[in-house]
Amino acid sequence: MTPYLQISGLTKCYGANHALDGIELSVETGDVLALLGPNGAGKSTLFGCLLGFTRPAQGELRLNGSAITAAERLNFGYVAERVAVYPQRTVRENAQFFAELKGYSDSEVQRQLTRVGLCSVQERLARALSKGMLQRLGLAIALCGRPELLVLDEPFNGLDPALLETLQEIMREENERGATLLISTHTMSAVEPLATHVAILLQGRLASSGTLAQLKAEHPAADSLEDIYHRIARAKHSAEVLV
Amino acid sequence: MKAEIIANGSVHAVSAEPHPGTRGVERTPALKRWRHALGLLRQTRIIAAKEFSDRFRSGWVVACVLVWLGAIGLTSFLGLIQVGRIGVQGYERTVISLLNLVQYLVPLLGLLLGHDLMVSENEERTLRLVLAGGVSRARLLFGKFIGGVLTLAVPLVLGFVIAGTAIGFAARDNAISPFLHLAISGLILGVIFLGTGLAISTLSRTRVQALVAALLVWCFVVFVFDLVALGITLSARAPAAAEEIDLLCDTTHVNAAADIHATFDNAGETAHLAAVPQNPPSLGWLALNPVDLFRAVNLPAQLGVHVPATTIFSTVFLWLALPFALSFWRFHRTDL
Repeated sequence: MTPYLQISGLTKCYGANHALDGIELSVETGDVLALLGPNGAGKSTLFGCLLGFTRPAQGELRLNGSAITAAERLNFGYVAERVAVYPQRTVRENAQFFAELKGYSDSEVQRQLTRVGLCSVQERLARALSKGMLQRLGLAIALCGRPELLVLDEPFNGLDPALLETLQEIMREENERGATLLISTHTMSAVEPLATHVAILLQGRLASSGTLAQLKAEHPAADSLEDIYHRIARAKHSAEVLV
Repeated sequence: MKAEIIANGSVHAVSAEPHPGTRGVERTPALKRWRHALGLLRQTRIIAAKEFSDRFRSGWVVACVLVWLGAIGLTSFLGLIQVGRIGVQGYERTVISLLNLVQYLVPLLGLLLGHDLMVSENEERTLRLVLAGGVSRARLLFGKFIGGVLTLAVPLVLGFVIAGTAIGFAARDNAISPFLHLAISGLILGVIFLGTGLAISTLSRTRVQALVAALLVWCFVVFVFDLVALGITLSARAPAAAEEIDLLCDTTHVNAAADIHATFDNAGETAHLAAVPQNPPSLGWLALNPVDLFRAVNLPAQLGVHVPATTIFSTVFLWLALPFALSFWRFHRTDL
């Protein structure tokens, strides 16, 4: 059976540096994949290749067996690590612009702004928003039109506990309705309750991947996802030192 | 299941069904193609409208209208001060006075608008969100260009229409053809340099780099090119060609309008000027610089300069297609 998202031999180089080196990964519909790795491991580059703003040097990404086009991305939602919107436009205008590009109406914008709790500040200019509010706006934009794939790049960075809980709740709801989620993060405690699958990237290579249950079975002594991650990272580092 | 939203914004249950009217419906290939084509137009229109709306809010459009009205009004009123006359002139005289102003200002406006189209959004990282939202790079580029054309065209057209109407009433002149000619060719000149600005914008890494490149291009096409062209023809000892270039290219930038006004006044005494372009090969070298082409097509009939239509159309096509192809090629190879 064709997986929902198939990544084959994905490689991206910046000069001599391999940001991604032959990544092989498949994701099924409804999976919640936690993409873990230190800074510079290639997580954002992988998302960039998926979303069309980074050109891979080699390899391919296929959605339901077909190459990903701009039309397929109409069904994607993306929350950037640093949400960048138009500062001179209001919250509503920003959300409306991105929703209109995907073909969604104002009522859908209102629905998502209400959902993330931005309805009361929708006439505020985006440049006057706090980081948390910007994050909410990015999420509202991503959620417009019930995307089938949600790509969230470091969504938990710098959030207060209440907002973090809200974000987790929304992600859970999206997954329950059938959306596939790809989440890159350093905040492993936040993604652990959500993740069904985990992929660990180290220096552009896939160090480990599988279901969360499989990884836990492979590392019975580990008491959390964070612990599993550190064990795998340490083992990889030791192997490299020995080589 | 349907999505149900309660007052505090949380969702009870959401649907796994596709969004109504947007996807998930079985469609025939023809219907799919139509929807796709309409989608292309819709995204391009939305991007273009946003570009225009942002410029309108920033005051650019209103400022440009005022600048044009002032420039056209003043040149019509004071355009003959070099030959000792003051007062609102008719259309043809106004065109002669406006020629230098338009050839300097319109390329500058086009470049200033165009240089910022892509690079600023790339610096602010908003392009990523647009592309992630299912907009292809070609549509984004085209939408930005159309938005830029609107931003340039609205003040130019408004300025020419308002000032043209005022001149018509004040000077009681009905021969509007040269003025219309100037307005249309000025608009095309602006669009050409908007395209050049767009190419600069896609080739630049930062806004400052793009601005410097745009100003250098402007200096080259408006000042340097003509002097270099004249220098080359003089050193090649081709006096007829040098005279032709001197007439068409405004190489000295001193009292050029006065010279043309004098020619206009004394058409009989300046038969030698009219004699020069009577045997022009094709004036194909005008294709090298659209500013010179603009000047050549707007010179008064008394000077006898006739630019072949093929030269005009091929130059406009070349200068629109090349920057657009370059922008398209570069943007498709750029990692954002």
